[in-house]
Amino acid sequence: MATQLPVVDYEKIKNVHTTPLEEFYTSGHRTCQGCESAMVMRDFAKATGPRTVVTGATGCMYVANTSYLTTPWVVPWMHTQLGAGGSSAVGMAAGLRALMRKGRIPNEKINVINFSGDLGAADMGIGGISGALQTDYDLLIIMYDNESAANTDIQATGSTTYGAQTTFTPPGSKHRIMHRRWKKNIAPMLAVGHPTCRYVATASATFPALDFMNKVRKALAIGGPTFIHTFDPCPKGWDFHPKYSRELGEVGVKSGIFPLYEIIDGQVVYTYDARKKGRIPVREYLEKQGRFAHLIDEDVDHIQRMVDAMWNEWEVPGVAPFKAGLAVATT
Amino acid sequence: MIKRVEVNYRGIFQKNLGKYIGSDIVMIASRMGKVAFSNGRYSDSPERNGIPCKYFAFVSPDLSEEELEAECGAKLDIDEADVSVVLDETMVKGVEPWGWHGVRPINEKVREKGCLLVVARHPHDELLEFIGKKPYHYRLATLDGDASLAGLWVNKDDLTRERVLGAIAAVDPGIISIEAVEAHLLEKTKDEHRAQAARDAYNATLHRIKLVAPGEGIDWPHEVPVLPKWHEFEEGGVVVPAVKRGFELGPRGQTRNDAFKRGTTKTHRPVVRFDLCIKCTLCWLDCPDECFDPTDDGLYDVNYEVCVGCHKCAAVCPVPECIVMVDELKFHDDSSPWEAHKRNPAEYIKWAEEKKGTVRLNYPHVTGTGYEVTEGKTVPPKTTAASGTKAGSQA
Amino acid sequence: MATVLQEPKIWAKELLLNGCQAVAQGVKLADVDVIAAYPIRPYTEVMDALSKIIADGELDSEYIVADSEHSQFEIVKHASSVGARAFAGSSGTGWMYGFEALVVTATDRLSPLFLVGNRALDDPGAFGVEHNDALSIRDMGWLLCWASTAQEALEHVLIGYRIAEDNRVRMPMALAMDGAFLTHSQHMVKLPTQEAVRRFLPPYDLGKRVMHPDNPVSIAPQVNEDWVMELRRQNWEAARRAKDVVAQAYKEYNEIFGSRYTTPYFDEFMTEDAEVVLIGLGAVAMPARTAVRRLREKGKKVGYVNLRWFRPFPSEELRAALGRIKAVGVIDRDFAHGSPDSGGIVVHDIRSCLYPLTNRPAIANFIGGLGGRDISIDDCIRMFEVTSQAPNRAPGDELVTWIGLRE
Repeated sequence: MATQLPVVDYEKIKNVHTTPLEEFYTSGHRTCQGCESAMVMRDFAKATGPRTVVTGATGCMYVANTSYLTTPWVVPWMHTQLGAGGSSAVGMAAGLRALMRKGRIPNEKINVINFSGDLGAADMGIGGISGALQTDYDLLIIMYDNESAANTDIQATGSTTYGAQTTFTPPGSKHRIMHRRWKKNIAPMLAVGHPTCRYVATASATFPALDFMNKVRKALAIGGPTFIHTFDPCPKGWDFHPKYSRELGEVGVKSGIFPLYEIIDGQVVYTYDARKKGRIPVREYLEKQGRFAHLIDEDVDHIQRMVDAMWNEWEVPGVAPFKAGLAVATT
Repeated sequence: MIKRVEVNYRGIFQKNLGKYIGSDIVMIASRMGKVAFSNGRYSDSPERNGIPCKYFAFVSPDLSEEELEAECGAKLDIDEADVSVVLDETMVKGVEPWGWHGVRPINEKVREKGCLLVVARHPHDELLEFIGKKPYHYRLATLDGDASLAGLWVNKDDLTRERVLGAIAAVDPGIISIEAVEAHLLEKTKDEHRAQAARDAYNATLHRIKLVAPGEGIDWPHEVPVLPKWHEFEEGGVVVPAVKRGFELGPRGQTRNDAFKRGTTKTHRPVVRFDLCIKCTLCWLDCPDECFDPTDDGLYDVNYEVCVGCHKCAAVCPVPECIVMVDELKFHDDSSPWEAHKRNPAEYIKWAEEKKGTVRLNYPHVTGTGYEVTEGKTVPPKTTAASGTKAGSQA
Repeated sequence: MATVLQEPKIWAKELLLNGCQAVAQGVKLADVDVIAAYPIRPYTEVMDALSKIIADGELDSEYIVADSEHSQFEIVKHASSVGARAFAGSSGTGWMYGFEALVVTATDRLSPLFLVGNRALDDPGAFGVEHNDALSIRDMGWLLCWASTAQEALEHVLIGYRIAEDNRVRMPMALAMDGAFLTHSQHMVKLPTQEAVRRFLPPYDLGKRVMHPDNPVSIAPQVNEDWVMELRRQNWEAARRAKDVVAQAYKEYNEIFGSRYTTPYFDEFMTEDAEVVLIGLGAVAMPARTAVRRLREKGKKVGYVNLRWFRPFPSEELRAALGRIKAVGVIDRDFAHGSPDSGGIVVHDIRSCLYPLTNRPAIANFIGGLGGRDISIDDCIRMFEVTSQAPNRAPGDELVTWIGLRE
């Protein structure tokens, strides 16, 4: 029984039973067992549908997804360079707009999507993404964050959780913790810095269910340049059994270490309010991952204190690290 | 003379183990006065969880280091192996590391009189039900044990490494001798029991070598792709046609990447009791490999050709015993389980329960810390609503 | 009554334009769809001109001020991938900043056109001309040519797109011009009519390689050692085919616009009976040709070859032109530190090209005009003198003479 092939609408997916059935990123990729970043690919493609063009910046979701002469993509996809996520989307959006305006291709809404990993988006490509978010093109940049350079066998990035073991930050007999940077707060940084960008969000691909797909649709419906930062537990680099990849996302969100929210026209909307629901101890998140196996109690306490500060002391809890009150400098 | 050892392992889970074994062979051969080196197949890197990968070690009693490197170094793959070690027995079903490799027989590289050495729980004859036939004699040896799975940072020290070294000495002492293995382990670790583990494995393996006759094994069902010449494929900007769009309800209703399926990644496959399904959608919704096909009765068929055995569906399924991960070697084909269930629900349930058995492997969060074995229970068929038509309320 | 067939008008008007502004007029005539700008001297004036042209509604193009050269080049690369004609440019270290994007634009076989306003590489910061920036892409699968007048600059935007977008080629095009000398000096430039341009330059058509939902493709999937040789071989073939496409483009250009270009790859000046010839890229042609005239007046058999196309390199044509010459002096406005005989970049290609000839000319090499220092007529006369002595040089004698250096 053939069903009607639907084209994308920007309706909210109300429940799992009304989730679009058709895949636009399909089987036959080379991602890890239990890969949450593959879920990000699958879900954004499902949410956007066929009238979409995609660029993927260098990273594990480039190298793992295609192997030459074969592809898992149903929608058009093109590689872009590690730091070119933002500019690749601008280039496609600009080209399509010009060709439509000049009547060379039919005038229609085509979703322009770039995905970049944390190394590409939060580190190398942050300038290009900033440039993209200043434009008036309809485009969506998704930063899939597995907190490492996962394509080069797990190196630390600006988005790696404090204390994590990576091949660039191994624990040693003198230095237990080599990765001493606190995770870059990328989504608010982009929201704060680009007041005309109407939609910035964080998400986890599988928790809460449908949340990410609906955020993709909301971003496209609101239009203009938009940005979503996804939280992608990585069985390989974080060292947990692939069966737990969804659970790790859930535990991460519930511990408050990865807050879920949308920033719509400057308005912060918590999509999982860890304050009201009560945060579970960060330890429950950390102890489930081999990359934190070398941490001792005082390290865990430090991370917990930092997460507590995010929620208890920040002016916009979990989002913006400003402190309340307007101090006036005296000279 | 050159002795070539190939270590087939599961990406990431056995990455460190595979590399350690390669390194040990070099060090042991060196102490025997031989020239040796080891390397990995570079195109396997970066590895992915579960993807079949290879590590190599090369040993020669008479060649210079430069000649050995010239013969064996930096190749995409080796031409033949004196010993092909297999660290996870489910890889005997074939390995497909990349799109253009095709599904390759596990014994592809084993030379005449060479040895395929498998860490296995299954006996030789059962393994040969999956292994392609060769035109010449070779040996099949087994080393009793489970696939030793660990993660990138937390290793599993379960003596598999030492035991494999002992077994290699048993099947080809021309590579490393058991005496040199023992001496190496003792010197390096000062642990008597490590040397003993190698010696025990050596003794056991000597009795578990089967001579495989020409033509013994199966006709290999997979085609090995022939790569086109430079002028035989689309020129200009490395452009590849996308997967053709298409979806309909039912088995294989979703179009997929036909040229790379990588079902050989799995050690376990999900067996589904469709009669217990409450149609919560989670197995389908959370599958990172798009291997569940929605059907017109609200169930989800499994396409085992593309399932990589991540266990996630079994983890998210809220119904006990509805989705259970089962040893991949219990299955001889990838046909649709939903169709089998539709044909005869009672028979399918009986079949599924047989496959499931009662042994349940419970992996901890950090893979390298071991696993628990618990007993599963047999759930009786759910009344008359065989295909679970109105099961939604029973969550 | 007999009808008078009116010849279609070829030239629209004449304007006073500098090199950058002339390129901007070329971009306008090529009806470019997407332009990405980022400032660096001296190329940047092309963007000043284009932004005004767009602001005044004379060109309908998406115009993006990017956040860096890397973004600028990636924007036009991806615009090109959806089938848009795209334009960008840069100079000096800006060009090098975006180098990664330049490399992949070629391997993706896309066809945007870039202006390189040649500029010295930092450090120290210097504004003047040096050719190392543009020459850096010579091995990457690019089309690379130099314009030596503002008129040529305008025309080579049209010729460049025509060659780059040809489906036998599909390579990106770098149009180089000497910073300051050409980019900023004003000349009267004839502008072709839009109708004539339309006859010469068809629309950009990527065919089945275009990124569009109606043409689902995956572009540049990951490869390993099993594929790279074959892909490089394809690109090699395209670079070889480009030779014929270049020739054909000039032939048709001449047919439409009158015989402006005698040979596509280089211009020969008084070489017919010459015994000593200088060859160089870009604006050095002006003092060199003037020196030729003056030396000819004194009866010296000298000539000048203005090399326009560096990629594809015109090997056979140069062998034919220079094979009968006694001595060839190569002017390098660039450096190749540590290279064979410590020569410049251009001399190595020319010497290598002439090597198979049985009676190959003696070669002299000149490094001069670096960082924007002028190369005078007297400098050129001196270069002819040094070159004329090249046949007498013993093996081991210096190949290179520095011109215009304070010594």
